[in-house]
Amino acid sequence: MNKKIPNFVFTNQFGLLCLVVTFILIFSTVTDGFTSRFNIFALSRVVAIDIMIGLAMMVVILTGGLNLALGAIGVCAAMFGGWCMETMGIPVIPSIFLILGMGSFLGWVNGMITVKTGVHSFIVTLATMSIYFGLMTMLTEAEAFRRLPETFTEFGSMKLFKKYISPLLLLSLATCGALFYLFKYTDIGRKLIAAGANPDAAELSGISVNTMFIYCHVLSGFLAAMAAIMLTTRIGAAIPSMAGQLGMDWLLPAFLAPVIGGTLLSGGKLSVFGTMLGAVLVTLITNGLYLIDVGEFWIRFFLGIILLIAVLLDKTREFFTLKSVIVS
Amino acid sequence: MTKFCLEIDSVDKAFPGVKALNKASFKLKKGSIHALLGENGAGKSTLIKIITGIHKQDGGKLLIDNVEKTLNTPNDATRFGISVVHQERNLIRRFSVGENLMLNNLPRTTLGLVDYQEIALQSKKWLEIMDLDIDPSTIVSELTVAKMQLCEIAKALSLRSQILLLDEPTSSLSPQESDNLFLLLKKIVRDEGVSIVFVSHKLEEVFNICDEVTVLRDGKNACTSESIKNLDRKKLVKLMIGRDEQIVKSKRKTDGTDKTILELKNVNTDLGHKNISFELKKAEIIGLYGLVGAGRTELAKCLIGLEKINSGEVIISGTAITIDSPRSALEKYKIGYISEDRKKEGLILIHNVIDNASITVWSQIKKILGFVTNDMISSRVNPYIEQLEVKTPSIYQLISNLSGGNQQKVSVAKWLAAGTDILIIDEPTVGIDIKTKAYLHKLIIELAEGGTSIILISSDMPEMISLADRILVMKDFKLNGIVKNDHKYDTVSANIMEYIHD
Amino acid sequence: MKITQSSLLKKDWFGLLIVVLLSGTFIAMLKPAFLSAFNLYVLMVSVSYMLIIALSQMIIIAIGQMNLSVGAIGGLVAISFSGVMEVYQISVPVAICIGLVIGTVCGFLNGYITVKSGISAFIITLATLYIFKGINLGITEAEPFYEIPETVKNFGNAKIGTSPIPYLIIIPVIITFLMWVFMNRTETGRHMLAYGNSVQSAELIGISSSKVVVTAHVISGFLAAIAGMLVVCRLQLGTPNIGDSWLLPSFAAPVIGGAILAGGKVDVIATALGVLIVAIISQALVIFKIDPFFVQIFLGVMILLAVFVNRYREYKQESSKKIFNND
Repeated sequence: MNKKIPNFVFTNQFGLLCLVVTFILIFSTVTDGFTSRFNIFALSRVVAIDIMIGLAMMVVILTGGLNLALGAIGVCAAMFGGWCMETMGIPVIPSIFLILGMGSFLGWVNGMITVKTGVHSFIVTLATMSIYFGLMTMLTEAEAFRRLPETFTEFGSMKLFKKYISPLLLLSLATCGALFYLFKYTDIGRKLIAAGANPDAAELSGISVNTMFIYCHVLSGFLAAMAAIMLTTRIGAAIPSMAGQLGMDWLLPAFLAPVIGGTLLSGGKLSVFGTMLGAVLVTLITNGLYLIDVGEFWIRFFLGIILLIAVLLDKTREFFTLKSVIVS
Repeated sequence: MTKFCLEIDSVDKAFPGVKALNKASFKLKKGSIHALLGENGAGKSTLIKIITGIHKQDGGKLLIDNVEKTLNTPNDATRFGISVVHQERNLIRRFSVGENLMLNNLPRTTLGLVDYQEIALQSKKWLEIMDLDIDPSTIVSELTVAKMQLCEIAKALSLRSQILLLDEPTSSLSPQESDNLFLLLKKIVRDEGVSIVFVSHKLEEVFNICDEVTVLRDGKNACTSESIKNLDRKKLVKLMIGRDEQIVKSKRKTDGTDKTILELKNVNTDLGHKNISFELKKAEIIGLYGLVGAGRTELAKCLIGLEKINSGEVIISGTAITIDSPRSALEKYKIGYISEDRKKEGLILIHNVIDNASITVWSQIKKILGFVTNDMISSRVNPYIEQLEVKTPSIYQLISNLSGGNQQKVSVAKWLAAGTDILIIDEPTVGIDIKTKAYLHKLIIELAEGGTSIILISSDMPEMISLADRILVMKDFKLNGIVKNDHKYDTVSANIMEYIHD
Repeated sequence: MKITQSSLLKKDWFGLLIVVLLSGTFIAMLKPAFLSAFNLYVLMVSVSYMLIIALSQMIIIAIGQMNLSVGAIGGLVAISFSGVMEVYQISVPVAICIGLVIGTVCGFLNGYITVKSGISAFIITLATLYIFKGINLGITEAEPFYEIPETVKNFGNAKIGTSPIPYLIIIPVIITFLMWVFMNRTETGRHMLAYGNSVQSAELIGISSSKVVVTAHVISGFLAAIAGMLVVCRLQLGTPNIGDSWLLPSFAAPVIGGAILAGGKVDVIATALGVLIVAIISQALVIFKIDPFFVQIFLGVMILLAVFVNRYREYKQESSKKIFNND
């Protein structure tokens, strides 16, 4: 799938790793609080969720599509979880499974509509985003669930490794590992990638492309629900506005991480490790900018610029690799 | 002195791994219809792309009205009065006929707005030249293909094009529509003074309307601007195919079992095939021959479950079955299909050699929980990549970096690795250099000797005659006849031609 | 020759007009209050700026792209427009010009970067969405500008004579007309649609793709700017969150109006009717005291339905013409 290890130095991921290290060095020298126990813990919680959101988008970008309903699915899953635990009194563990099931189901609906109608997933998920979010607000009457079981909320504030790291981060890293395993070492993962890269060729080679695309959407919904669970334990409540209007606040981290990480927007090429580093980079920069008093309002501006630079760099790299192909 | 409006002088063009054109020349007389002929892969399409500014030649000259010109973009070609007439591709389907004709230079009212009355008026003139009795406000997508094509010609005329390139213009026209087209072509040559380059596989059309002929073979001229009067059908075929073409005599002994492995009985498909019946025996190679548009690739796609079979029976090893997807074709019935369109349907260009070669075997080699590693894959697939002598620095090389011939080998390798019983091979050697071509021919014979039954789709007559045991001739989505192949070129090709033109 | 009646039935907007009339009559019969002067006024006010937002997206759909930053441009212009008037006491006409210039520049940037980089407009406008929104928040620090000149406020409130027609709707109606002329009767407009139909054919004809794409984005930015300023007139203040909720309706109206996202098929009148349908039904939901969040579900369902219908019609048209070539 990837090139051999000696070539690692030339990969996008290596460049990202260097950038991450550079930014860590800069921020830890320039600012005071960056390496404080409090800040690192806070960072680890934010990074954990951003990684999960990025992965959720990545698996749909793999098909050459998009999932704008990501945030809406997340919020729906979280609110459903809140209802299960608070109103219905279902214990934490079964509730978590129900939440994940809910996310997967909503992803499945996206996938089914996309595959059966052949309409681009952009417009499908734009519509379902609105539908999911509207249904959720109607059913919950826009009320938050704030009395969640303590076992559930404590997980979010738990501190590990001399109180530096949140267990949420470990969960995200484990998910990265699982996805890496899926795409690298299983036949399904390879089929997902092949279907995304060239649906016609994949279909003729005996892969059910439609099934694969639905799997991607289900997986995306599942990961969005994971992110939602993590966010809920972090803030200790399930709130309808936890991902902003229509859940659209999640879209920026969702696109930033995979795009910076080298996932091809036209589908068929992804990097789990790259997406993870992308999320780390974005969180680092956001956090660093806060600490050097850029003002929270300018941060979006910088993130937009970063996204722009990332895609432009990606394009130039593509240009040069293409050129070298022609020369060789 | 005769005037040449277009002259191609010793043009060379090479692509990685293939020399597409080798000092190819031809001269187009003003006011004539000139046939450009050649087998698939002879360099016709490359030459057309050079004339229309899509490719640039490596060497040689291109002269328009005796002045040397450089064409960098398709736009340049249009500017110098060269237009390509595609069947329907160049029209904006949702626009009206009139607007399409005038789109480069829309007439305006005094307010600077588009003047639709003037469009109707001006375009009517060009439509009348083409004997098209349609309202200029008709939307293009409502026209038949034949009329769209005539509109394209009208549009080219409206651009004051002096040279028209018609590439297989009759491939989806009915006989009456074709005759009508020819009459009009003769008329515009006479009345409008345009010159036409005519590319076709159908020789009777060439004799019908062309004045001169240029034949390309393996990128070289087999004849240059020869008058049609000096040629007959036989000579022309000889020029196109050439004497030096070796007919590889298949020395293999057909398997003695004579066991029928696949049988089609009166199959009708969603795509329009009518009453297709044939048998495929174990270790047999049957050829599907026909002109472009005969429905051969479509039949293959129906067989592997990509399109629907409406009635009739498909029998595999004695049991009637339904194949609903390529996946079940592969996994349940061990049928594989090697696509003619390597880049779009055959390979995943952004992936590497090993991933492409192993795509069909992942399900077969997976362990518990779908566990698959690169090592497991390469131990399964490498023997085939080596057997096929795929030239690549590493199996982790991107497939798009390989030459066309090696790419084709990889797309064959994945089906060898899958271990199919029935393999449908669609135009395996189009655009492939001669050495690899010979190698692939040898491979197909070896495969059959090993017990695989093969359906070979090819428009390459020598290829067909050297490989197939029986040749099924298709025309208009019907099976016209079956020719027993005794590998004697002259008699077999004559028999095939009879079925095509009856 | 065709009969005029049947060609009328083929038009995208004809079916929509029937829907508008039927739904209007139906609602009016159930709740006569629907036709009250006040209600009509509210309806027209919401139609006014939604119309411009929809057209701003429509022109990008025409060339087969999307513009996610319509709302961000509108928001940035809205706060700049109100900001320069409050902070620098700049006169209204100059402030309007500043607003239009900002919108145009934003649109130009979108188009220019898209053309030069060759990256899909989706991702470019996603990036510029956050850039424009970031500038907006950076300037305002999330605080609205309240000091809007009386002339602007009056314009936002006034009605024509004693009729329920708001002044606000005048400009959108004129612009809709101009857009219709542009898309149907100017060479640039026709070339845009040709480009949206088939980039390849358009280039073969000699249509400059960079000119088409940049022009479309510039117009889109210009229209987003007008929409932003109209909203300021209506709200009587310039809040930074103007534009945040425009994305969905901006796609809804053109798609309901039969636009195809692959490009090349948009209809100005049908888009306008799409806006009207969305407005009428949203208004009806208010009158029937249905949960306001239902509007969102309804919008989503409408988009999906419209996409299905468009696709079905396209499919029917194509399949009746299907021919077999490409052996």
